[in-house]
Amino acid sequence: MKNRIFKKWLLALTAVIMLSQALSICAASATGDSIPKGEFSSLADLKNSRIGIPTGSSFGDMVQQKLPDAKTSWYNNQTDLLIALDTDKIDAFPADEPVMRYIMGENDMLTYVPEYLDTFEFAYGFPKNQKGQALCEQFNEYLVKLRDDGTLLTMEEKWFGSDESQKEIPDISALPGTNGKLVMASDATYMPFEYVRGDEIVGYDVDIAIGFCEEYGYGLEIKNMSLDAVLPAVQSGKCDFAGSGLTITPERAESVLFSDPNYSGGVVLGVRKDASEMAGGAGFFEGIKSSFEKTFIRESRYKLFIEGIVNTLLITVLSVIFGTALGFAVYMMCRKNNPVARAITGFCLWLVQGMPMVVLLMILYYIVFASFAISGVAVAVIGFTLTFGAAVFGMLETGVGAISHGQYEAAWALGFTENRTFFKIILPQALPLVMPSYKSQIVDLTKATAIVGYIAVQDLTKMGDIVRSRTYEAFFPLIAVTVIYFVLEALIGIFVSKIEVNIDTKSRKKENILKGVSINDKD
Amino acid sequence: MIKIEHLRKEYENATPLKDVSVEINDGDVISIIGPSGTGKSTLMRCINRLDTPTSGKIWVNGVDVTDPATDLSIVRRKMGMVFQAFNLFEHLTVIENIMFAPVELLGKSKQEAADRAMELLEMVGLADKYFNYPDELSGGQKQRIAIARTLAMDPDIILFDEPTSALDPTMVGEVQSVIRDLSQTGKTLIIVTHEMNFARAICNRVFYMDEGGIYEDGTPEQIFDYPQKENTRRFIKKLKILEIDINTPDYNAIEVFEKLDDYCNKNNVIPATGKKMRLVFEETVGLIMKDAYDIPDSVDVKSHIEYSAASDSVTMTFDYAGPERNVLEDGDEISLNIIRSKVTEMSYEKTDDKDFSNRLVLTIKE
Repeated sequence: MKNRIFKKWLLALTAVIMLSQALSICAASATGDSIPKGEFSSLADLKNSRIGIPTGSSFGDMVQQKLPDAKTSWYNNQTDLLIALDTDKIDAFPADEPVMRYIMGENDMLTYVPEYLDTFEFAYGFPKNQKGQALCEQFNEYLVKLRDDGTLLTMEEKWFGSDESQKEIPDISALPGTNGKLVMASDATYMPFEYVRGDEIVGYDVDIAIGFCEEYGYGLEIKNMSLDAVLPAVQSGKCDFAGSGLTITPERAESVLFSDPNYSGGVVLGVRKDASEMAGGAGFFEGIKSSFEKTFIRESRYKLFIEGIVNTLLITVLSVIFGTALGFAVYMMCRKNNPVARAITGFCLWLVQGMPMVVLLMILYYIVFASFAISGVAVAVIGFTLTFGAAVFGMLETGVGAISHGQYEAAWALGFTENRTFFKIILPQALPLVMPSYKSQIVDLTKATAIVGYIAVQDLTKMGDIVRSRTYEAFFPLIAVTVIYFVLEALIGIFVSKIEVNIDTKSRKKENILKGVSINDKD
Repeated sequence: MIKIEHLRKEYENATPLKDVSVEINDGDVISIIGPSGTGKSTLMRCINRLDTPTSGKIWVNGVDVTDPATDLSIVRRKMGMVFQAFNLFEHLTVIENIMFAPVELLGKSKQEAADRAMELLEMVGLADKYFNYPDELSGGQKQRIAIARTLAMDPDIILFDEPTSALDPTMVGEVQSVIRDLSQTGKTLIIVTHEMNFARAICNRVFYMDEGGIYEDGTPEQIFDYPQKENTRRFIKKLKILEIDINTPDYNAIEVFEKLDDYCNKNNVIPATGKKMRLVFEETVGLIMKDAYDIPDSVDVKSHIEYSAASDSVTMTFDYAGPERNVLEDGDEISLNIIRSKVTEMSYEKTDDKDFSNRLVLTIKE
């Protein structure tokens, strides 16, 4: 058993080293129009292959139609697909041609099958209501103008080319905003349509959106979120429209209103390069160095990590504080076995504890608080306060329940009132019992906050994803994020242990117990 | 003074107290005895309202404690309680256990409370333990601390709910002697206990509880020596006399020893005598259950054990079935030697009882 675990670790370690080497090779060779030969050279070759599909995309149906015998599996984003491909978990994954070209530039093992899986059209999505309708019409008008004066073509050349220095974008904060501010939902991990550069979101879709807002006198705010959250955000009215490389599909058209297509292209399948095309690898340490440079230094990406850490900590700490208060308050109400309070609490606990956290957060964000101007961080704090409160409630129940009834009776018999008994005698004995599970709950919470990307909060994990989507480095950012989580958890652990010492009466220092009292000990 | 009128306490599936009316005077030292399930503890817990009576009224020093408007916490400050399970505050040191209530409830300064606590610890003989935590103490020590904690509030009334029942026989004495000292201070004490000699030594009143109330109320002499009513008589006899029937050589010796120990506790028989009783019982039954050829045989034996406080001796009588046979003469020499070394007198006689025609009487003196 031990041996197997060890082997697994060794394998993982080897994989990390190999990958960082493989990924560190800077793609100097321009791809141009000729595509390097891959392990598969036509769609027919991929008939029985394993194909990975990004969640929330519309590629699933295409693959199903063209390659009905292929085995499909679902991945969260393109970076994960890339790791899966590299580690031979899948044989191919679909992407829009411009995106695939960009990834190829960053990653030497990748090429694609020079045959379109399907053609598609990208459009912007608007809510299906009056306001959305009006905005959509304006937008279509703008698109016609862009196409007619050739701006659209220039933009395509600019964004789909390989010269990053050309990819200038107008200042979003300089927009006039005389007709109000629009909020655009976008998953900014989709080079070159939308992605994070430095501390701003840029890309082809963003460029068009800014131009539109400038033309019609709107301000613009971009909310970065997971792709599966983009459509719900528009549908619920949280965002005014979506610009996120959305392929028009009949299914999506049922839930949102699509603008006229702004871009049409083909979907291709990315595959591993044929062995004959592979270049030699660079040294291990250079690999690490280059990964570090790409992940943290380039475009000041460390700032993204810092922002992520701040958000993660903010959500964790506030949820712990409010959750503890909530759990305690609810426990106090239920303590005397009030049947109404018990029933309500029981129902809420059942609801909160039974629901996957992602679902709870999304329901809060897109349904409950849909019509409130409330930030994702606030919703995350509310969501995690509820679950943490439920955990605190449970802990208090077990902790206080473990104190024998004799302790109450002894206190009452001495003349302590009900409340004084609870706070002076029972709680001081119950708290040390629950501290260990309280601590592990906090650590769990820190980790659990990693899903807040679904409600447009850019926490540590989301920031890691954003960086990964730029560097197409699979492991380095992941490991960096993991290390940061470990450090955060350790710091929180130390802090909570400090409290633990102070609430456990038995760990008091002897000289502090009877401070200021002299004992007349005759012995 | 405590006055109880028509107190009734019902539980879902039992009614231990049907109708209790009694007056307890200041300075009374009362022991409550009676079979289990007759509401001895319930009566006590109704007085300090840890239990809520179903109906009836209780006044403690003129305050109606059954009135919902009464602030019980005030009444309880003057009425301490000592529990069978000690219930010391496990998270506090011994001295803090004693200081806690006076500081929190009476507003005493810490120094004042600590000085008083040390006095009380001195009194119960545990001054050197003031800085220990309860889990570092023996049962007897815990109970003495619990008594000191109660005394720190300077109560007029103290309720003792089987204070020595959870203790090893060796620790009963130390707790009893603390209570004995207390009985001299003029405080009102109410004690649920089965130790007759102890009760006899310190009480001026005994309540025998049965049939849903105080069945007989009298002086220790009346209740223990000359009980007036049928149930009391039967109970006292059972307290004083232990009867054990054996009918097989494979009898459960451990169970018998527990009965003997329990009897010794209730009657204040010293542990050394208890040990002798065990040995004598075991060897005697062994002798009776072996026939002339040393083969184990099933014989019906009725044993009857009685302790006399006046002469400080235990008399063990064994009646056994079968033809006339004096085991003191034909028995195994080793067993006989053991018995001889423990008893002060032994005799055999033939009786007229047709089922148990042999009788052996052995006396052990302390």
